[in-house]
Amino acid sequence: MRRLPANLIIGGVLVAIVVGVAALSLVWTPHPENAMNIRGKFAGPSATYWLGTDQLGRDLVTQLMASARNSMAVALIAVLLGGSIGTVLGLLASAIGGWVEDLVMRFADISFAFPTLLFAIMLAAVFGPSLQNAILAIAFINVPVFARVARASANQIWTREYVFAARAAGMGRFAISRDHILPNIAAPVIVQATIEFAVAILAEAALSYLGLGVQPPESSWGRMLSEAQTLMYLAPQLAIWPGLCIVTAVLGFGLLGDGLRDITDPRLARER
Amino acid sequence: MIEVSNLSVTFGQAQAVRDASLTIPPGARIGIVGESGSGKSMLGLALMGMAPDAAQVTGSLIVDGAEMSGASERDWRRLRARHIAMIFQEPMAALNPLVRVGDTVAEPLRIHEGLSRDAALDRALALFKEVGLPNPEARLRQFPHEISGGQRQRVLIALALACNPGLLIADEPTTALDANVALRVTELLTDLSVRRQMSLLFISHDLAAVARATTEIVVMYGGTVVERGPTDQVLNAPRHPYTKGLLAARPRPEGLRQGGVRRRLPTIPGTVPPLEKLPPGCRFAGRCPVELPQCAATRPPVVDNAVCHLLAEGGAA
Repeated sequence: MRRLPANLIIGGVLVAIVVGVAALSLVWTPHPENAMNIRGKFAGPSATYWLGTDQLGRDLVTQLMASARNSMAVALIAVLLGGSIGTVLGLLASAIGGWVEDLVMRFADISFAFPTLLFAIMLAAVFGPSLQNAILAIAFINVPVFARVARASANQIWTREYVFAARAAGMGRFAISRDHILPNIAAPVIVQATIEFAVAILAEAALSYLGLGVQPPESSWGRMLSEAQTLMYLAPQLAIWPGLCIVTAVLGFGLLGDGLRDITDPRLARER
Repeated sequence: MIEVSNLSVTFGQAQAVRDASLTIPPGARIGIVGESGSGKSMLGLALMGMAPDAAQVTGSLIVDGAEMSGASERDWRRLRARHIAMIFQEPMAALNPLVRVGDTVAEPLRIHEGLSRDAALDRALALFKEVGLPNPEARLRQFPHEISGGQRQRVLIALALACNPGLLIADEPTTALDANVALRVTELLTDLSVRRQMSLLFISHDLAAVARATTEIVVMYGGTVVERGPTDQVLNAPRHPYTKGLLAARPRPEGLRQGGVRRRLPTIPGTVPPLEKLPPGCRFAGRCPVELPQCAATRPPVVDNAVCHLLAEGGAA
């Protein structure tokens, strides 16, 4: 058994904490969500309010936990949606080749030209700001990323002799894509998904900060940041905690993705 | 019944196979021998409609009454597995490391015969028994890395047999196996061919394996058929100079010592030239020990199943 790389372990622990807290918020939070105590606003840390309260007297820990859950949900839906569509497109491009492959890849090139935020702002301008549009925007940006990864990996697998043998057994290219190519590109796709999860968390935070993501009364680290912004001198902790949470989550998924890539990609492993 | 006439496989200027003709009646066991680059594997691939995209395949290929020249990929797919199946040289590389071997065999059954997964696995089990895999129930759920090379080749044979093909093309099926496993795989193929009345096209440079497995031999050199005939006749009384050279180059335990003197293993002088530099006439011209002036320029005629100018002139190679 080879020793696991440090980034995998650290990333795994951070992700476990963030996901654990998010999951916990489904069944338990220190205080009811959005419960206000106006007289106790801007309270410092205490036994009742572990990290204190915000400008409306809401418990900070509760807010952060609910935000973690919302953030995970947005990232999960967006990455699953964009990732599956992108992977299928990449598989199809690789299986069919020719103009279909060109079309998919040029589409990928074009959509890479749109920054996620700009695209989300565009969606919000057209359809109005909503959580659903934020998720769609993040998912859309993921499509070309996964299409590229899936196609590049699939193109390698297509040259394998077992694919040739499957063709000799009378299997068509779609059946081969499903039964032989997909299991063999799962590793790079999962690695990419983990890394894109980090990107999606950051995008959600940014969109929510701009008011284009998670809408009130649901809370989000991005929204907490934007609300805390005007109170920076009065209560800097209101900005610091959500900021730290974003860093933890993004760093955790990023490191986990890198670590997974290190152990699944033999070429990189040899270089280390 | 498969009839190949004047089949050529061309890559730009290079002809990998030139005007090959071959009739494979049901149940026939035919060996194709020749060294690397003789076009024997390319001929096998052309019969499956699986020549590389860059290749241009011309000539006629009639499989069970259907003309396949110019057929679409879809037509070929219907033909593969059910009419013609193929096994390959590297049994490890030809199995997907992430798919259980039972599923590998079940897949074409589900696709071609619309069987459910369970029904297909039952058939796979029967096939595993037929190809003599030990402990077949347990094998179904194993991955390729868990079984030996000989067993992998048996799995691939089971895969090839899945849809009851009329012809099995075995492309160097024993090359990657050690000698006694190779022997048993050869016996299995022969046995299956007889039992199922399935034709066997045994492509190999292992003359001993071909001798054991086949009743008829086609000798190829430089993409052309140079000699064909019943196996024992070709091996015992070769007529073409190339076939003679090939047979003389076999290492024999008694042959290395003659009259008390160590003898060098005979070889055919020179090497096979690159495809695009092959002579337009007889492809063996330039390396042939009994070459005539016309050999390099004009194509040799067929004389009693051998294709040679010298034989046409009444000489004996």
